[in-house]
Amino acid sequence: MKRLMALFVGLTVLTGCEQVPEGTVSLREPDSPFIAFNVWVKTGSQNDPAGKEGLAALTANLLSDGSTTEDSYDQILAKLYPMATGYGYNVDKEMTVFRGRVHLDNLEGYYTLFSNSILKPAFDEEDFERVKTQTLNYLERSRRYSRDEELGKELLFWMAYRGTPYEHPEEGYVESVRSIMLDDIRQFYADHYVSNNIVIGLGGGFDATLLSRVRADFDALPAGEITPVPAPEPRMPNGVEVLIVEKPTDASAISFGFPTELVRGHDDFWPMVAMNSWFGEHRESFSHLYQVIRETRGMNYGDYSYIEAYPRGYTTQVPPTNVARRSHLFEIWIRPISLTAPGNLHDRTLFATRAAWRELKLLVDNGMTEETLGETQQFLKNYVLNWGATGSRRLGYAMDDQFYGLGSNGYLASIRPGIEALTLDQVNAAIKRHLQYDNMYLVFITADAEAMKQKLLSGAATRITYTGEKPAELLAEDQEVAAFPIPVSEDKITIIGIDEVFERGM
Amino acid sequence: MRLLSMTFFLLMLAAGAAAQQGDGIFPFDYQVVELENGFKAYFIKAGAPGQIAYVSMVRTGSRDEVEPGKSGFAHFFEHMMFRGTEKYPSYDAVTAGMGAARNAFTSNDMTVYYEVVASEYLEQIMDLESDRFMNLKYSEPDFRTEAGAVLGEYQQSATTPFGFLYEKVRETAFDRHTYRHTTIGYEADVRDMPNGYDYSLSFHRRFYRPENVVLVVAGDFDFGTAEALVQQYYGGWETGYVAPEVPSEPQQKAPRQRTVQYRGRTLPVLTVNYKGPAWSATDKMALATEVLGAVAFGSNSDLYRKLVLEQRRVQFLNGDFGLARDPALLEIATMVIDPRDVAAVQGEIEATVTRFQQEPVDAQLLADTKSNMKYDFLMGLETAQNVAFSMISYVINTGGIDAVNDYYRTLDQVTPEDVRAAARQYLVNTSKTVVTMVQAGGE
Repeated sequence: MKRLMALFVGLTVLTGCEQVPEGTVSLREPDSPFIAFNVWVKTGSQNDPAGKEGLAALTANLLSDGSTTEDSYDQILAKLYPMATGYGYNVDKEMTVFRGRVHLDNLEGYYTLFSNSILKPAFDEEDFERVKTQTLNYLERSRRYSRDEELGKELLFWMAYRGTPYEHPEEGYVESVRSIMLDDIRQFYADHYVSNNIVIGLGGGFDATLLSRVRADFDALPAGEITPVPAPEPRMPNGVEVLIVEKPTDASAISFGFPTELVRGHDDFWPMVAMNSWFGEHRESFSHLYQVIRETRGMNYGDYSYIEAYPRGYTTQVPPTNVARRSHLFEIWIRPISLTAPGNLHDRTLFATRAAWRELKLLVDNGMTEETLGETQQFLKNYVLNWGATGSRRLGYAMDDQFYGLGSNGYLASIRPGIEALTLDQVNAAIKRHLQYDNMYLVFITADAEAMKQKLLSGAATRITYTGEKPAELLAEDQEVAAFPIPVSEDKITIIGIDEVFERGM
Repeated sequence: MRLLSMTFFLLMLAAGAAAQQGDGIFPFDYQVVELENGFKAYFIKAGAPGQIAYVSMVRTGSRDEVEPGKSGFAHFFEHMMFRGTEKYPSYDAVTAGMGAARNAFTSNDMTVYYEVVASEYLEQIMDLESDRFMNLKYSEPDFRTEAGAVLGEYQQSATTPFGFLYEKVRETAFDRHTYRHTTIGYEADVRDMPNGYDYSLSFHRRFYRPENVVLVVAGDFDFGTAEALVQQYYGGWETGYVAPEVPSEPQQKAPRQRTVQYRGRTLPVLTVNYKGPAWSATDKMALATEVLGAVAFGSNSDLYRKLVLEQRRVQFLNGDFGLARDPALLEIATMVIDPRDVAAVQGEIEATVTRFQQEPVDAQLLADTKSNMKYDFLMGLETAQNVAFSMISYVINTGGIDAVNDYYRTLDQVTPEDVRAAARQYLVNTSKTVVTMVQAGGE
C-alpha cells in the first residue's frame, strides 16, 4: 500500500516540550516527509570591513556555491541532482543563513553535502573567480538595469542609514567587491564562522537525535570572540531629502520613508502590524494605498507600505524571513509609474507620490477607525496562516524569534492573539508615536532628473488625466492630491546617474 | 525548553478513507465531481488541517489570442475577473473578510485563479467563485482604469532584459501560431486595451464556460459536502465554450538567426531554440525530450561543467525543454562573459546537440534525471496551494488530473535510445532559431 501524505499548516508547530541542545532551534513535525535546515551565522553585511563591503555576502556565496575539501563543486552538483534539491544562503545586515531542504529519503547524503559546504570549504581559486565575476555582473548591470523598483528601495535604505553599519547594500559596491581577494574570504570565515557564533535550526520530519548530531558537528569549528557591532542609529531626515537617479526609462520608480524605533517585541509592534496591513499590506488589494492609486486610479500595478525590511518583495507574496534587524524603516513602495494616460511622466510620478503621502498624513492625523481596524483584524486572522505555510518558513520565523529574543512568545504563535486583542486607542496611539509626514527620505529613478528636480522645487500642482470617465468626487479629490505640498529646498535634492549608483561608497 | 507555545495548531489526521488511485507517484487520494454541463471539480485530500486551496484553472491563455491586435488580452481579462458582480460588487472586500490569500496568473495556455482560505469558508468561496465565473460585471470606466494597471505591469516586466529578449525570440521563431507573442503582449496592444471593452465581454462569453474550466481543491474538507456544493453552485452554468482556431505553425524550413539590441546594460545572452513536440503524459518521445533538456544542458550536464564551472565562459546555462499544449520552443539560454566568445559558445551548444544525436545518454545520468524529476515533483507537495498547483499542467493539457501517474510511469520507460531519438527528431537544424541579445552600443 502506498504511503499517503498529509500536510501541515498553521502558525506554530509540534515542538512540544522536547529538550533541545544549546544553540539550536527545533521544529520537529514527525510525520512530515521534508526536512528543513537553517544554519544561522551571527554575522552580516554590518560586519564587512571598510573598503571590503560585500565580503560577508561573497563569503557565504563561495561556501554555498563552491567546492569542499571532500568534493569539487561539480561533484556536489552531481550528487545533489538526483535528490532534486540544493542549498542556498542569504546575507542580510545582521544575519547570514544557509538554508536547505530535502526529502526524508535523501537525508543522509544531503546532510553530508550541506554541512560540508559550511564546515569544510575548499576556498578554491576557480570557484572564487566564478562567484566574484557573477557578483560583479550583478552589481554593474543587473542591479542597475533590471528592476528599478528594487534599486529604489535599496537607495532608500542607503539614504536612511548613511554613516551607520547598515549603510552599504549587502552585496557591496562595485569597487569594494573588485578589491576582495580569496585571502579576505579566508580571514572573514576564520573570524566569523566560529562555533559559538552559529545557531542550528532543523524543521520537519527528522529523527530527534539528528539535532544533537548536527550541533556536535558544528561544535567542531573553533570557538572565537566576535566584536559586537553597535546598533545603527539612523538619522531622521531633516524635512524632505530627495535623491533622483537619472536613467533612460519610460517609467519612474518611487520609494520613500524614514527610520522608526519599532522592532519585534516592542509594545507597539502588533498595533503597527495592524496599521500597516490596512494601510499597505504587501501585494494585497486589501492595501489602502493600492485601492487609492491602483484600483481607483489605475496608475500602476500596486502600492504598499512596510514596517520591517522586505527585500525582493517583487518575487514573493509572503514576508521574507531571516532579515531580522535592530533597526527598521517605515517605507512606502509605489510600483513603477508610466504614461498610462496622456500627460507628463513627472506629473504622474509626483501625483502618485503626493497621493500616498497625503494618505499617510490622513492616517497620522485621523488614525484608523473602528471599522477599518475591525476589517483588518478579520483579514489578518486567516491571512497570516500563509506566512508560516512551509516548514522552511516556520523555521525561518523561529530563527528570527531567537534574534529578537522573543523566547517562547514567537512571532507566528503570537500574531493572531496579538492582533485580536488590539483596541483602536492602542493602534492610534502607536501611529502617533511612530509615524509622521514632515520628515522624509524620497527616492526617484526616472528620466530627465533635472526636469524632475525643477518640478519638485516649483511646488506646482501635478494634475493627471484618465482614459475613462471618473466621478466628480474623485476629480475633486485629485485637485487636492495634485497640489499636496512636498516642501523641499534645492540643497536637499541630489541627482546621480545610474552608472554611479553603488559604484563605491557615495 | 519549550520553544513555541501552541495556540491553535491542530494535530493533523491521516488522510481519509477515500479510495486510492492505484500505485502512482501522487501521494494523495482524490475524488472528482463531473457535472452535466462538462464542469469538473477535483478534490484532493491533502491534510492541511483547517485549510483549503481553491484553484480554478481556465484552459485559455495567450495561446487563444488569435485576433490581430489582441495580444495580452487573456492576461488583461484575468485582471477584470477581480472587478466584481451584481451579487458581490467587491470581490476584494469579500475575500479580505475571509483573510484569503488570493491571486491569479496567466501564461501561454492557461489562466489560473486561486484562493487559500480556512476550510470553514468552502461554501462562501464556491459561491463567490462560481458567481464571478458566470456573472462577471464591470463598467467601461472600470475597464479602462484596469488597463492602466496592466500597462504598469508591462512596464516592470517586459522592459527587463529577459522580458525584452523573449518577446524577440518568439516573434523570430514563430510565423503563425499564437506562441509568437508573449503573455503580457505587445506594447502597442497593451496601450490599446482601454478600447477593448466589447471584446472583453465576448472573451468572457466564449472562454469562461464550464467545459473550459476545471476546479482543483486541495486540503481539508468533507467530500460529501463539497460534492453537493459543486452541484448547487456550478450546476446552472450554461455551456457555450467556443474553441479558438489557433493557427498551426507551418514547418520551419531553414535556421533563423537574429541579434537584438537591449538599451540597458547587459552581457550578451545567447538563446538557441528548436521546435518541440506538444506536451504528453503517455508519449515516450515527449518525455524523452524533457529529459534531453536536462541531460544535455542542465546543471549536471557536461556542457554546464565545461562552460560554467571549468572554463567560466558563461554566467549561466539553462535548457528549458518544458512542453506546452501545442508544439512550443525548446530553449537553451546562456549569458556569455566575453562578447567576442558568443559564436564559439554557440558552436559548443551545437556540438552538444550533435553529440546527443549520435550517442545514447549515459545510463546513470538518465537514472539520476528521472530521480530528479520525481523528487522535484514530490518536494513541491508541501502546502495545500502547492499540491493544487502541482496539478496545473495535467489539467491544462488534458482537462483532468489523472494523467499525473501516467506521466511518471512513462518517464520510467524512457531509455537512452529514446533520448537520442528525441534529439534526432527535434533538435534539427532547419527548426533552429538563434537569437542573441547584446547591449546597444556595445560594452
